Amino acid sequence: MSYEDRANARPNLNDESDNEEEAMVNDYREQVNFDDGMSELDQTMSHGASQAHDLQAQLAAAATPLEYQATLETKFASYDNYCSLFHYILNSDGPVDLEVPNYYWAWEVIDEFIYQFESFCRYRNRVACTGSNEEESQLLRENPNTWGCYSVLNVLYSLIQRSQISEQLNATKRGEDPMAVAGEYGSRPLYKMLGYFSIIGLLRVHCLLGDFSLALKILDDVEMNKKAMFARVMAAHFTTYYYVGFSYMMMRRYGDAIRMFSHILVYVSRTKNFQKGGNNYEAIAKKNDQMYALIAICVALHPTRLDDTIHSAVREKYGEQFYRMQKGGPEALPVFEELFRSSCPEVHQPHSSRLRQPRLQR
Amino acid sequence: MVAFDKCETRPAHIEAILNGLDRYNPETTTVFQDYVALQCEDRTFDCYANLALLKLFQFNPHLIQPDTVTNILAKALTVFPSPAFSLCLALLPTSTQPFPTTSEAQSASQTSDFVESVQKLTRLSTLLESAQYAQFWSTLNSDDLYADLTADVAGFEELVRIRIAVEVGNTFRSITAENLESWLDVRSRDALNKFVVDVCGWKVDGDVIRVPTNKENEARSEVKSEHVGIEQFGRVIRRGFELPA
Repeated sequence: MSYEDRANARPNLNDESDNEEEAMVNDYREQVNFDDGMSELDQTMSHGASQAHDLQAQLAAAATPLEYQATLETKFASYDNYCSLFHYILNSDGPVDLEVPNYYWAWEVIDEFIYQFESFCRYRNRVACTGSNEEESQLLRENPNTWGCYSVLNVLYSLIQRSQISEQLNATKRGEDPMAVAGEYGSRPLYKMLGYFSIIGLLRVHCLLGDFSLALKILDDVEMNKKAMFARVMAAHFTTYYYVGFSYMMMRRYGDAIRMFSHILVYVSRTKNFQKGGNNYEAIAKKNDQMYALIAICVALHPTRLDDTIHSAVREKYGEQFYRMQKGGPEALPVFEELFRSSCPEVHQPHSSRLRQPRLQR
Repeated sequence: MVAFDKCETRPAHIEAILNGLDRYNPETTTVFQDYVALQCEDRTFDCYANLALLKLFQFNPHLIQPDTVTNILAKALTVFPSPAFSLCLALLPTSTQPFPTTSEAQSASQTSDFVESVQKLTRLSTLLESAQYAQFWSTLNSDDLYADLTADVAGFEELVRIRIAVEVGNTFRSITAENLESWLDVRSRDALNKFVVDVCGWKVDGDVIRVPTNKENEARSEVKSEHVGIEQFGRVIRRGFELPA
């Protein structure tokens, strides 16, 4: 399906029935329970311990956030852990026989992998800018490929190719049986799920690197609706719409961006009561506010009638700014900038060239 | 409208690279560079392929060719108003970003020629996008560096002039010849009349140029009506009949 088609395939916002809402609630409860399960696994795993294929520990580690203050050593070890896990999954003799916990595990592995890549970029950039810690700069210079963008893209593209996920999604779209094209790897849930979420992961990575058209292109095969696989994991659903909406916005397709943001914001407002108390509620609430800011920017640039719930929420959260942006003129520019800065994903430099000549930068 | 990842004039070998993983292969850099040179010559523009080259530069900063980058940016100006210019800008190294934050501005006191070129082209882009056409031409003619930056792009001025004319046609029904002369940077009334009639297909009416109606410049009254079907109230009605628990 071309972009135009997908752009025109409007998500139908009025199709909620009580049954669907019920299903969303159940999905959500399942996710919360899953998270609880993960924290038990955490206690049994240890970072950088013997790599003797203590697989369960590796699987758990891959889906577990690093501590905020993790040392450079831990970051390197975590990268090695991902490499050996993905190497095992991708390059063993035939598909590996692994019990996969579930969708949430697959999403969290990819999500955490990219999150660590992102925070590593930020960290490397900070070391390059301040140049205070010579020892760390030295280590980073010696390991340019650790958390390098070629390595990260390689993992994501390999998972997509191995699982034949694009072929599978296309078959589904044509109304054929995806299993017929899934192949030896893609017919297993482990590969299928990792492949699928790698597509969403690439969307995010391309956005973080400032390549918005490629980010959208990656989603060519993915259907944007509630029946899509990403919709089964709240965080994935949410993330996908945020990055797709943002990419459309950067492509100046404000109408499409507004549609994407509206869809997910309506969804979140309807499931809000079930998320309170969930462990990623705060992160979702923050992203939610960011999307309200972005939708306010889009509507100021491209006047559109919003869904009533969204409109009143925008007025409530950003009333003053919204008014000033709609009024326009030079006074509106700082407001646009302020909201954009606080709501856009952080775009990164993918390489460490600045590390090589720290002196030249000043 | 053509989808953003397509281009009618794109050769098959470029299409093949773009659709495969070779788009990340540093060895394809030269292929894309030749393609940029071709676009400069034959007045075509392939945004999606040029972004792929900028991405290769982003991943392999040692390969970056400032001349090719500035040619891509200059070409992007010839397709305004489109997101092409800003999409290209987003893939350039931070050190060349023309919109520095205050802290970066202080540290960027020493700028290279490359950075200056990017800033100059961005200035042109801003003027075009804010419809400051007369100022665009005076800026373009104010400094020899601008001539250098656009020298490789065949027909740069002509291409931009046509895009400005399209924007004018979308906005106006009639416009004074004097205004249009400065916006299109046409020196004489004769040349203007010729351009307006031959290229745009508009009419000259003394000192006023008349633009025939088109989809954009036509005044339309908006009919606001809402259709609310009974099925949209289905749930409300159903709830109304539910027995109290």
